[in-house]
Order: sequence, then C-alpha cells, then structure tokens
Amino acid sequence: MTQALKEVSLELFPGEIHALVGENGAGKSTLIKILTGIQQPDDGEMIFSGNGVQLSSSQEAQALGIAAIYQEPMVFPDLDVAENIFISHRTRGIWVQWKKMYEDAHKILSDLGMILDVRAPASGLTLASQQAVEIAKAISLNVKVLIMDEPTASLSNHEVEQLFKVARKLKQENVAVLFISHRLDEVFEIADRITVLRDGEHISTRSVEEFSREQLIREMVGREVDQFYATRQKKNYGKRVLSVKNLSKEAVFSGIEFDLHEGEVLGFAGLVGSRRTDVGLALFGIQPNDSGVIELDGQNVSIRSPQAAQNLGIAYMTEDRRKLGLAMPLSITSNITLPALKRYLGRLGLIQTESEKSTAEEFKNRLQIKTPNLSHEVGKLSGGNQQKVMFSKWLNTQPKVFILDEPTRGIDVGAKAEVHNMIRELADQGMAILCISSDLPEVLAMSDRVLVMREGRQMGILDGPQATQESIMSLAMGELQETA
Amino acid sequence: MMNVWKYLRSWEGFLCLVLILTISVNAVNSDAFLSIDNQINLFTLSIEKVIIALIMAFIIINAEIDLSVASMMGLAACALGWLVDAGASMPTALATCLLIGMLGGLFNGFWVTFMNLPSLVVTLAMLIGFRGLARVLVEDRSIRVFPSWFEELGQQPILGPLPLAVIIFFLLLILAVVVLRFTGFGRYVYVIGINKEMARYSGINVNAVKLILFTLAGLISALAGILFAARLGSVRGDMGLGFELDIITMVLLGGVSIFGGSGSIYGVILSILIVLYLRNGMSLSNITGHLQTGVIGLLLISSAMVPNLKTYWESLQASRSK
Repeated sequence: MTQALKEVSLELFPGEIHALVGENGAGKSTLIKILTGIQQPDDGEMIFSGNGVQLSSSQEAQALGIAAIYQEPMVFPDLDVAENIFISHRTRGIWVQWKKMYEDAHKILSDLGMILDVRAPASGLTLASQQAVEIAKAISLNVKVLIMDEPTASLSNHEVEQLFKVARKLKQENVAVLFISHRLDEVFEIADRITVLRDGEHISTRSVEEFSREQLIREMVGREVDQFYATRQKKNYGKRVLSVKNLSKEAVFSGIEFDLHEGEVLGFAGLVGSRRTDVGLALFGIQPNDSGVIELDGQNVSIRSPQAAQNLGIAYMTEDRRKLGLAMPLSITSNITLPALKRYLGRLGLIQTESEKSTAEEFKNRLQIKTPNLSHEVGKLSGGNQQKVMFSKWLNTQPKVFILDEPTRGIDVGAKAEVHNMIRELADQGMAILCISSDLPEVLAMSDRVLVMREGRQMGILDGPQATQESIMSLAMGELQETA
Repeated sequence: MMNVWKYLRSWEGFLCLVLILTISVNAVNSDAFLSIDNQINLFTLSIEKVIIALIMAFIIINAEIDLSVASMMGLAACALGWLVDAGASMPTALATCLLIGMLGGLFNGFWVTFMNLPSLVVTLAMLIGFRGLARVLVEDRSIRVFPSWFEELGQQPILGPLPLAVIIFFLLLILAVVVLRFTGFGRYVYVIGINKEMARYSGINVNAVKLILFTLAGLISALAGILFAARLGSVRGDMGLGFELDIITMVLLGGVSIFGGSGSIYGVILSILIVLYLRNGMSLSNITGHLQTGVIGLLLISSAMVPNLKTYWESLQASRSK
C-alpha cells in the first residue's frame, strides 16, 4: 500500500491565510481529512492552542473550532439560509427560536459583507452564496481554523473576489485560514505563507514573498516544466470542417457564428454563465439548437441526438468528469471503448474482448495512462489519469470535430501540461478542435482564435495577436469589440 | 487459497454458503428432499416467478423497476382463457397474449423514457391497471376451456423428467447470462444503470435500451402467464397476485443493487435456489406458509445489512491494526 502522507508538519497561526499547494495525489486531501477528524493519522501528533489533541470524529474537530468548506458546498437544499447556518446547534432548548435565529443569521452574514435573504431556501442560492452560508455556519460555531478546499474552482471572478474579502475579514478576526487551490494566481493574491506538498511529503513552507511563480511550480512538480503554457505555434490550417451560422436556442444562446478548420483550435472564452457549454451541448445533440444552420464538410446537417453527432464525427468531452464523463465503477478498458462499442461487436452482438484490450493498451501507451492494469476501476485513478481515459474514450471514436469542455479542470500542473501537448498534437494531425476553457492563460496558449461569449451572446472572435487576457476579459465583461 | 477466502467474503460466496447450509439441513431433515421428483416439483411450482426474475434482474441492474409483471402475468392468462372461451383458436389466442405482453411492456417503457416518469410510479399504476383488465375479462369466474394438449404441456414432462416450463427457463437462463455478460447490449444495461446521464453523454441510446427492456419484461411476463395457465388448466382474475414481491426479493437477494449498475445472473440463480429450497424445506418440515414468508423477509433484510456489517467490520479491523 502506498503511504498518503509521510512525516508532514504544518503550522497554522491565528490571523494568517496559509495556502496548501501540490499536484493531485500530493496528500492535500488526506491532510485535510486528518485535520477535520475524518481520518486518523498512524503516527504524529496534533497540537491545538498548546494542547495535544486526538480527533476521532469530525464532531470533535468541530467542537474545537476546526471547520472546512469544499468546492461543492454541502447545504440542505430544502432548509432556508438561517436553518442551514444553525444546523449543528443543539444546545438551544427544545423549541426553535425562529426570530433570534433569523436575526443572528442576518448579523453573521452582514458582518461578512454578504447580503442574503436568510428566509430563502438554500436550493435557490448560487454556489458562491452556498459557500458563504457554510462559512457563516463555521463562524456561528466559533471557528478558529477554517479550511477552504478548492473553494474557487467553480466560482466566477467576481465571486472569487467576494470570497477573498470574506477570507481577509476572517484573518482580521484572528481565524487561521488554510486555503487550497490549483490556481496559482489566487494563491499569490491571498496567501501569507505557502506550504508545498509532493507525493505525501512536506517540501517547503515559506512566506509568499520568498516564492517566485516558477519556483513554486518547480517545487510542486519536482521537475522543470519548460513548456508551461507555451504558446501554440501558429500554422496554416486546412479546409473548413464546421461552419455555424446564427445558431440559437430559445432563452439559452443566440447568434453564434463561426468557422472551424482542420488543424485549428478555436478557444471558447467567457465568464461563468456565458453559456459556452450550452453551445457545445447543442453541437453534440444533447440540447439541440432550435434555429440556425450547422454545416459539416459543406453539408447542411441537423444534430438532434448525441448518436447523430457521433455518426457525423463530432465528439464532446464533458467538463464534469465524475457525473457525466466516466462510468466510475467500470474498468479503464470498458470506459475507453464505450462510445465506439459497436466497432467491437462480433457475431450475435458479442463483445470481442481481445480487440477491446488492444485498443485500451494502445491508448494507455499513447497517452501514458498510469495504472497497474487496464481492468483497474476508473474511479480509483487520479484526476489526471481519469482525464486521459476520457480523452481516449473520445479519440477512439476518431472524431473530425472534437469539442473539449474545460479539458484541464481539477487536474494537477504536470498532467495539465501533458493535456496541452496532446491538444496541440491532435491539431497538428489535422483535427478541428473547439476548446471551452475558463482558464484564460490556457485559452490563449491553446487557441489559434478565441470566440468570446457573454450571457448567451457571441461578443466577438479574436484572432491570434488580438487575443490577450485584457481583450478577452473586456469582451467577456460586456464591452463591445471596436474592431470586428 | 487467497482467492477462496476472497470469494467467501463476496456476496455470492455468502449466498453459496447459505445455499449449502440450506441443502444440508433439508437433506438431513427429509429423505425426500434430494429426490429428483421433489427437485423438479419444487422448481415447477415456482417456475413462472423464476422465469420473470431473469428479466427483472436486467431491469433492476438498469436502475429501473417493474412492479407490473405479476399483473401482466394474470392479464395474459385471463386473456387467453377469455379468447379461447370466445371461440378463438389456440394459436391465435397464444399469439394475441404475447402481443398484449409486448404492448403492455412498451406502454410502461414509453412513460418511463419519453415522458421521463419514475418506473416505480408507472409500473405501480400498471400493476393496478393490468390486474383490473384481467378481472374485467373473467370477472369472478374460473375459466376452464383449454384443450387437453395444452394442459398436458403444462403438467407432463416432455424431455426426460423435465416439463416445458423448466426447459424454457433453462434456455432463457443461458440467454440471459450470455446477453448480460458478453454482449454490447449487456454492457449498455450496466452502464445505464451506473449513470444514465453519463451513458447519454457517451452517445448511448438510453431510451432504446430501456424500451427494449420493458417490452421484454412484458413479453416474458405474458409467456409466464401462459405457462401458468397451462399448469393450472384454468384461469382466474387473481392469478399471480403479489408475485412481483417474491420476484423482486429473489433479484435483490441475489446481490443486484436496487440502485442499479451491479449484480449478476449468477447471484440471482443462487438466491432463487435458496428461496425455493428454504420454502420447500420448511414445507417438508410442516412449517406454515406465513412463517416461511417471514423467514424469506428476514433473509432479504440481511441481504441489505450484510454488506454494511462487512464494511463496519473492516473499518474496525483497520483501526485496530494501527
């Protein structure tokens, strides 16, 4: 058995924001589980406010004032905001003091600078507001250590700012905040000190001023990432494959127009809620468009189902690997061959396992999927390897047009670079790629052109040198493009 | 050695142990138990349920449920009696009954797929609906109109000691194992059961698979209804009343997850044998039917509990070994 953590030390001081960084599998999750009492360490000790403690359950951690919020907040959707905040309070007598509860909830939230209706059900809240509720819950429990595990992964830029304000507020009130994120910009913006973990070992802890970006990455991956976000070599692309004119879907998006060529990577940029994914889903037949024209190889086509899209040579790789991307309990092989399973059926519809295996073997070598064997459960692989399996699954359908939705979400720095190289290689081999990404440096590095969307509308297409972080953001925020 | 131990700790291994235990106790308690006559007899008495359990396994692995199977069985049997009584020829009546089964199943499937309703609700409605139709057809009568060849087919052995229904069961059993384990369709059944949306995003025609499964469930239920009518030689409106619960019990006890996505026909066969042998053994020892049902119920609860106990036990050991 591999060891998840080896002799890791971590110190948190009141009133500091401490970032914990490392690739997937570095041991961050295990460390958090130990801090919050969900798992128990084999060895070592924990000292809280000068006293040695042993946490055998999350309740005990909570009683001490250690709380955690996660990327996906855990609120009770049918309870209202105030009820969610005070869900863990049990020492208030038999009767619920509704009035006091609503007042207290309102006070905590407004102290945080959050304006929320405390009587509204939690189900209607945005992800960011749900996180605020979780933070308020922690505060109501007199939190001393707040662990934020990738809280920003699904937030828009504005919401991230809001969250950072709250974090700084907590810092002023002498709470120790442990902040985990894959986004290095954020780490540099918010953290006082940074701890790097790698392969379950403590690599370094230093104040943020002592780290340069490159150095931090180097310590995280343990090797030089020379091609990190290298820009794409501009090359001539081939004939037009996909042409979309005035593509619209009632109340979702409208007026989407672009051409996509062989060997071209078209980036799709925009803020959360810009409906980029919906355009991808329309082209893949999951949510068909209700007006507009789609031309594939010069032919007018109608895409009403994923099967139709697949037959036309369109593949869509989802952003939600866990819920929509992979059959977690099944083997790597079964996942890879799934969309193209018909190719593996012999007489009487029997699956030809040998040819299935050889396909999986081929992709394992080509994409360097790290696994003991191909009958391994996909759910037990690391995020980066799962992403590679998802890539394999769609590459195996031999698509002409490959739609990638957040191709590097939730995977570590090293795997990210590998995915980027892979996308470039595919484009060089002549595949037409549509790449939806919220990671601006990624969009810029990967794309030949960038289409920017805002609230379901196409704001413009930026070509090569025109595309910069600033020009994309100004379009995404709603300022019109001066030059068409 | 390691593998034997691992197998014994799996659910199928546990079922195997229970089965061996049941057989041993039965064999000691009654000399008649192991006789071929008793074996075929106990199988024949429940053969309709056992046949339907096969397709029910597919449906539950697909993360759906069909509560209307027993009512469809009754409806098909009653329709057969009614048609023959009204002067239809046997071949016409038999074909019509199978068609009713297919259409009924397709109807269930339509609501589940295109209308996106939960199968629990749809098939509960049809449990009532099909049963109601059956009762309308035959009212309170018991119709006894079948030609003697039909009754003989249901009651007499046709191949060695085996009656037709048992032979059909074995054929369907082989088919079920092959389809579920080795075909693309079987793979789709599992994948959809694991995660329906993910299957759709993988370009699988989820609705088609579900429609086929519900249609087959209707067809096989109708077939079971016909075999039931042949075995009894007459039909009544309450034929097969409540059978769906026994059928679902067999499937769940066999280790098929009620949430779909896992389970095997092998496990279902083990659980069928356990249920049949337990009942038979208790009958041979003069234990009443009600008590028998209670014992089966206890077994089902334990089937839900044992995996939990196992995880608990393992975590306990893990924390001790530290």
